[in-house]
Amino acid sequence: MASQKSKMICPKCGAEMNHHADKLVDPVKPEDLKHVNPTLSGVIEEMHYCPGCGAVESRRAE
Amino acid sequence: MTPSRPLNMPVILGTARKGRMSEHAARFMVGQIEKRNGVKTELIDISKLPMPVEDAGEGIKDPAFSEKMVMADALVIVTPEYNHSFPGLLKHILDSCLKEYIHKAAGIVGVSAGPFGGVRAIQDFLPVIRELGLVNIFWDVNFGNVSKVFDESGKLLDEAFVSRADKFLNELVWMAKTLRYGRDNIALDS
Repeated sequence: MASQKSKMICPKCGAEMNHHADKLVDPVKPEDLKHVNPTLSGVIEEMHYCPGCGAVESRRAE
Repeated sequence: MTPSRPLNMPVILGTARKGRMSEHAARFMVGQIEKRNGVKTELIDISKLPMPVEDAGEGIKDPAFSEKMVMADALVIVTPEYNHSFPGLLKHILDSCLKEYIHKAAGIVGVSAGPFGGVRAIQDFLPVIRELGLVNIFWDVNFGNVSKVFDESGKLLDEAFVSRADKFLNELVWMAKTLRYGRDNIALDS
């Protein structure tokens, strides 16, 4: 399910971005370990895309 | 559907080896893409990219390469087959990005000195492509016996590859348009 957090705003053009994917990523740095989802065994990164200019951004899902 | 921005479909030349025949295949693919309306391309030669080895993954992200991946709608990845797989340097470079690839199309072009056209490298490559978040198409282009396909200057000697590349690019363009529409318009929970 998509995040209930606020929509990301494109840092390049200011358009509202579309949250189109969640990606399970392996923790790489020691500080990543506290963000591991114990059920899914990884860190969930939200992927956002800008329909205006094609920029991509990501943020850690809470 | 006509996208507001042209589709961006760079070709990654995935080997830094001297004397590589894959360069001829990559330049051929760039030429085929350039014939298409509404699609732009460029050659990204991994031998020209900074390739530090004191770290790996996103720790070696090159801002220029990252930006090219951000703006790409699809990747054409040209890989030779070395020891039955794809080059380690190609994976080292691809591993430097992640968010840049998500829900974008990929097509693989295999190159080999022998008859199989890189099929073993491609089979090894598919799980990597999937984990990077790319969506691989079901057409490949296989340049087997590559020294008979191009002469030393890179001139194509076997015109059958024009129609093979055309089928591959038709599918890749369709997938790139579809995925861009999804990235633009379809939220994860809708």
